[in-house]
Amino acid sequence: MTALRRWAGTTGFRITLLHLALTLLGTLLLAGIGYWATSRFAVRQIAAEIERDVGVLLNAARLGGVPSLALSIEARIAADRGGTQFFLLSGPDGGRIAGNLALAPRQAGWSSIEVDTAREDSVMLAFGTALPANHFLLVGRDLAPVRALEAQLLGAAGWVGGAAILLALGGGLLVGRGVARRAASMERALAQVEEGRMEVRLDARPGGDEFDQLARRVNATLDRLQGTMEALRQVSDDIAHDLRTPLTRLRRRLESMEGAEEAVAECDRILEIFAALLRIAEVESGARRAAFAPVALDEVCATVAELYAPAAHENGQILVAQIDHGPAIQGDRELLVQMLANLVENAIRHGRADGTVRLTLEGQAITVADDGPGIPAEARDQVFRRFHRLEASRTTPGTGLGLALVAAVAELHGMRITLEDAQPGLRVRVAW
Amino acid sequence: MRILLVEDDAGTAADIARALSAAGHLVSHVADGKQGLMEAIGGGFEVLVVDRMLPGLDGLGLVRALRAAGVATPALMLTARASLGDRVEGLDAGADDYLPKPFALPELLARVNALGRRPAAMAQEATVLRVADLEMDLLRRTVTRAGQRIDLQPREWRLLEYLLRHAGRVVTRSMLLEGVWDIHFDPRTSVVETHVSRLRAKLGEPHLIQTLRGAGYTIRPPDP
Repeated sequence: MTALRRWAGTTGFRITLLHLALTLLGTLLLAGIGYWATSRFAVRQIAAEIERDVGVLLNAARLGGVPSLALSIEARIAADRGGTQFFLLSGPDGGRIAGNLALAPRQAGWSSIEVDTAREDSVMLAFGTALPANHFLLVGRDLAPVRALEAQLLGAAGWVGGAAILLALGGGLLVGRGVARRAASMERALAQVEEGRMEVRLDARPGGDEFDQLARRVNATLDRLQGTMEALRQVSDDIAHDLRTPLTRLRRRLESMEGAEEAVAECDRILEIFAALLRIAEVESGARRAAFAPVALDEVCATVAELYAPAAHENGQILVAQIDHGPAIQGDRELLVQMLANLVENAIRHGRADGTVRLTLEGQAITVADDGPGIPAEARDQVFRRFHRLEASRTTPGTGLGLALVAAVAELHGMRITLEDAQPGLRVRVAW
Repeated sequence: MRILLVEDDAGTAADIARALSAAGHLVSHVADGKQGLMEAIGGGFEVLVVDRMLPGLDGLGLVRALRAAGVATPALMLTARASLGDRVEGLDAGADDYLPKPFALPELLARVNALGRRPAAMAQEATVLRVADLEMDLLRRTVTRAGQRIDLQPREWRLLEYLLRHAGRVVTRSMLLEGVWDIHFDPRTSVVETHVSRLRAKLGEPHLIQTLRGAGYTIRPPDP
């Protein structure tokens, strides 16, 4: 059912539908015109026969008078095996002199007259003409053959229409499936690119149709993007090399000087910010996704909890870890460890001095909670921004990049971060 | 030890060479990758310190070519790149350790020392590690001090084993984080310090694990 609904949303389906509608419309139009023209032609032919008959009969009347006309009529009726010809010659008193029709209204010119009330649709085309001495001649022909022809035409149209629908459906499905397949292969390739495999390209046949042209255009865009990314990487490498190397030298010079500890510490801080910025940029680029492997989050949580427990203890705090065993996720262990370490470090740093820090892995969420002052609701959105630090923590050490890295790592793994009120304290929930 | 330093940045090279020489090593310096490869193949070095970004032949190529040529001299790769995948790449190419710039010189010294005395002196098959009256029996998984048994948590065990395997040498904070916790970044909080002081306290007096300010830790017999 869902597969059907999904298919109903595809281009393939729309193309099939459109194809079907157009084919149907074309067939109907063609059949309609054919029907109309054929039936008109058949009626005209009958009318022509009637006119010929009337001409012949009038000629007989002129030459031999009414008796000759009556004889002619009788002869014609006798010769008509199909019983489709009708005649009526009535006298001045309105009585029938000759013919095979009951009395009919004396209407000159063309008219349609019901032949047999018992038979449905038994209409004849008739031509009435007044004769000298108040005689009246009516010549008619049954339209049943035309009706039969029409019925046959309708039947044929039905068959043709049915075949057209089947062909249209088949053709539409074929075209639609082709389109869908091309689109799906493009989508798959682009999904791989999104996962950080920048070298993947779409299939494009030389020459080819719009899809190939589109694929080539997308490939060109990807080439350019990859070039830009490589240039960016080169730039960060250059920055890393050309700025950090002299900074490191500076730090080393300062290190060997007496009383320059503060300057060394300042150098370290700059270098640390550098490293953090470059790392955030790398995480945000998504390039790490290519190296994703199964990561046991329970092991990651246990490692981080175990690593920080003594530090929390030193701070007078208790680090409580409640870790459920769960399935591994696809990810980057190193980054996940760092993300969690940053969160736990924050909780220890900003938590209450003799409080509790809780690290929980439950279901598909990790939470890290402290019982410190917490973060006011209106300030929570801002803490993931680079270099953002709450007024209260300006005096404590930190680059203001820890949570920005946390956000980048979570985003890379498709995880959502929410900050909650732990009443008291801050609870950070990372869910996936 | 005889150390080959392959580094194109003259200032950095001078700093490193000075520090290594001051620690009693014999340093040869080349600034070019191809030349570095020739020197390294020529032999006679106990440790190679190779910058990753070099003119001519880069550090990765150098180490790869060296390993292909069957030269197993331990190599420490230096890099100014902050990229996460680089370490794996460097180790895959055949480097034995990887140190991102910027690094503190004591860190470099400690890692060079750790690499240098690795093969022969460090019998990997040793089943008992010993410093003074402290014994770690790797087979029976027991630790004793002067015959008294000491119970250790699994992580404390790994920490002590790492220190003992590098006994008499300096191990840095990040070496411990990598070797004991498999963590490759430097937490701001002094997590390692607290773990080490706990272990130190557990091992009893006189202290065997010394803290060297600004450098790291070492386990050695107490000063007489």
